[in-house]
Amino acid sequence: MIAQLLLTAMLFTILLYATMTYRNAPIIGFLAVIAAFGGLYFVWVPSHATRLAELVGISRGVDLLLYIWVMISLIMLLNLHLKLRSQLELITLLARKIAIADTVPGQPLRPEQPPGP
Amino acid sequence: MVGAGLSFLPAMELRSSQDIWVVIAAYNEAKVIASVVADVKSTGHRVVVVDDGSKDDTAGIAAGAGAAVIRHPINLGQGAALQTGLDYALARGAEVIVTFDADGQHRAADIAGLVDALARDRADYALGSRFLGTSVNLPPSRRLLLRAATWFTRATTGLNITDSHNGLRAMTRRGADRIHLRQNRMAHASEILHQIATSGLKYVETPVTIHYSDYSLAKGQTLFDALLIVLDLFARRLHR
Repeated sequence: MIAQLLLTAMLFTILLYATMTYRNAPIIGFLAVIAAFGGLYFVWVPSHATRLAELVGISRGVDLLLYIWVMISLIMLLNLHLKLRSQLELITLLARKIAIADTVPGQPLRPEQPPGP
Repeated sequence: MVGAGLSFLPAMELRSSQDIWVVIAAYNEAKVIASVVADVKSTGHRVVVVDDGSKDDTAGIAAGAGAAVIRHPINLGQGAALQTGLDYALARGAEVIVTFDADGQHRAADIAGLVDALARDRADYALGSRFLGTSVNLPPSRRLLLRAATWFTRATTGLNITDSHNGLRAMTRRGADRIHLRQNRMAHASEILHQIATSGLKYVETPVTIHYSDYSLAKGQTLFDALLIVLDLFARRLHR
């Protein structure tokens, strides 16, 4: 029972995280919500977890929960990667502004020759 | 020199060849940048070199050769450098922008053909194609990789093109306005084509000559790079 409550609290935290993520990364948010709801269901209905585990060849329901947890961790890792990319985009914009502000002007070009007679 | 048919260019007024800006993204190109800038400046167009945080004296040499030089404070990637060049040229009133590689494999003489194609075909993008033109010293393995990349690009963008990773291209002001590169690294070449496809603006392909040297081949992309590009493009689609 204690483990179930602990897992539930953690999965609810994941759900909260997924909801916050959904705005910027809808696919990641959706996957995290699905995984968290799946986890919650199997935590409270372990017999179904065992049945599904047997069906997909994992044998134990608790192992299935472990796999779901690993899946959630990977999704969060992917989201961190995407957040890093967003940060890099902001850094790029900043660097671009600084670089353009400090441009070294080129040597003036020769004035174009008027067309010949 | 200004192309003969430029007065027909859509949605732009080309007063002189100085309305044409050539953007060169460069990273550690001190060995060749002076000759590349000199070659491009001989056409009479304005040149801006975006030094992408080089560790060598690329920026100084490019400035000495007469180019305007923008220097990224840190290395961001070729895609980021090109977007910086596009932003700068647009802010300076460019009517046509040409992107040109810094490693010496492009010929400045091909720029006129690209700009003329914009006018002749009333297009907003003229994309250089080495497979419609000539490739000198192109290794068979590189040819195969480029063909695969082109097939992938055609399948994902729907563009009917023969050369998907050619850095020599010209675009009108209107066309450049539609380009907003977010892929800082090499995946920008595919991203540009994707944005061209979604812009709904007209594009044409133009034959160009690409001259591969030992130097440019050493800087080229490998099969592993190509896989990273595909991953980059996929990751981009997961995030807004």
